Amino acid sequence: MKPLKKTPLNRVHHELKARMVDFGGWDLPVWYTSILAEHKAVRSRAGMFDVSHMGRLWLTGKKAGAFLDRLLTKSVPRLDIGDAQLCLLCLENGGILDDLVVYHVGVEQYLVVWNAANIEQKFEWLFRWSGSDPDIIIEDSSSNTVMLAVQGPAVCQLKNLKDVSHLPRFGITQTKMGNLSALVSRTGYTGEDGFEIITDAANALPLWESFIEQGVKPCGLGARDSLRLEAGMMLYGHDMDTRTNPFEAGLGWLVDLEKGNFIGKNALLEIKHQGVKRKLVGFQMDGREIPRSGYRIFKSGQEVGQVTSGGYAPSLGIGIGLGYVPIELATIGSEIEIVIRNKPIPAHIVNRRFYKGGASNEPQRI
Amino acid sequence: MNPKEYKYTQEHEWICSEPENKGKVGITDYAQSQLGDVVFVDLPPPGSQVEQLKKMGEIESVKAVSDLFAPVSGRVLEINQAVINEPALVNQDPYGDGWLVRLELSNSSELDALMDSDKYDEFVSRLNEEGSE
Repeated sequence: MKPLKKTPLNRVHHELKARMVDFGGWDLPVWYTSILAEHKAVRSRAGMFDVSHMGRLWLTGKKAGAFLDRLLTKSVPRLDIGDAQLCLLCLENGGILDDLVVYHVGVEQYLVVWNAANIEQKFEWLFRWSGSDPDIIIEDSSSNTVMLAVQGPAVCQLKNLKDVSHLPRFGITQTKMGNLSALVSRTGYTGEDGFEIITDAANALPLWESFIEQGVKPCGLGARDSLRLEAGMMLYGHDMDTRTNPFEAGLGWLVDLEKGNFIGKNALLEIKHQGVKRKLVGFQMDGREIPRSGYRIFKSGQEVGQVTSGGYAPSLGIGIGLGYVPIELATIGSEIEIVIRNKPIPAHIVNRRFYKGGASNEPQRI
Repeated sequence: MNPKEYKYTQEHEWICSEPENKGKVGITDYAQSQLGDVVFVDLPPPGSQVEQLKKMGEIESVKAVSDLFAPVSGRVLEINQAVINEPALVNQDPYGDGWLVRLELSNSSELDALMDSDKYDEFVSRLNEEGSE
């Protein structure tokens, strides 16, 4: 077995006696004290997550912007310096290879933050299209930097984030936090206001400790998952993958078919023209049962789909989930059943943004 | 600490014997700490029969679903309604208010196959050592 990969904060997690887990080859905390307590800290005040397992990729050079524009579903030339954009990386057939955030950091300088999943396949894809063009320089800075997500309604009151409180949602800036220099963006994956901070691995510990001193609660992957699910945010590899297209995943808003040519555009035009046969929906249980990823979805005794994400929603006190159903069932209020312990249990389709507070990354849509 | 007078399974259930061949069943402190926040319990209905070391229900934490095993064979007399309504009781008081079911034992000699508290303490400390390696 390959040894697990460690983030620059790995020792801190172990010292805090966090429950650790192998998450796609990374040794990461699921929780420190309790998922519910950590979830609540983010909804009510502030929590922080070591998200250094996320891939951080620099694309620089004269053709870096044009190259990204050819690969991504949103217009890169329209992205001003200091702005970021959520977008998709699609295969030629329109299947989703990843959802990622592209940041226009400086002149001919782009940062891509993408998922840790299927990283080799994605690099292969990138290099296949970049070739050996000297004007496209691709550098992976994941291993020599740390990435911390500080999330919650009180983040702007934290002393080392006050100076960046002017940043708009999806803004990014190079800044000084105390005496350490960092790249800070107003982004996150919790449905709350928040920042994500990237800095040299050597700064990891002082940065972490400065937030601890201010009462920011360390949060693990468990709360990260329950928070994003409540906010209706999708998880790559569960709610979408190379076998799903953006329109059935409800991510059509991330696809700009008006922009110039990009990989997958022709297929996506065709898919949009044909219309989708199934759609990702949010649902909530009528009773107290909890749906889980992989459970089957039934309608009137017939299997119609599968749960792709599911769990207990701490802010709502009920079980919620995401899953694909035939397009004719994909309307709010539609009654379905989730098969739990071999019994069909009643549920109904609701708006995917289950938790209505906070400042979600995504506009409201089903 | 794990109560002296209880008996324990390797799957981390406990049983506390009561007069007239009855017993109260729950999960141990180690089990609740491993599961994390319990948010749903699925218990066998009163009147149903359970079999020693066979699955009799499920406990769900925020993160995962785990099987609940019967420490002994018998008939379910009662389930803890308080835990159904407030599953967090399993975390807060696993040996007291967080009990799960009351059984009528069909064969009290089955208790001999379970660990006493000394053995169970040892069993858990071995697991903790393995876990910290």
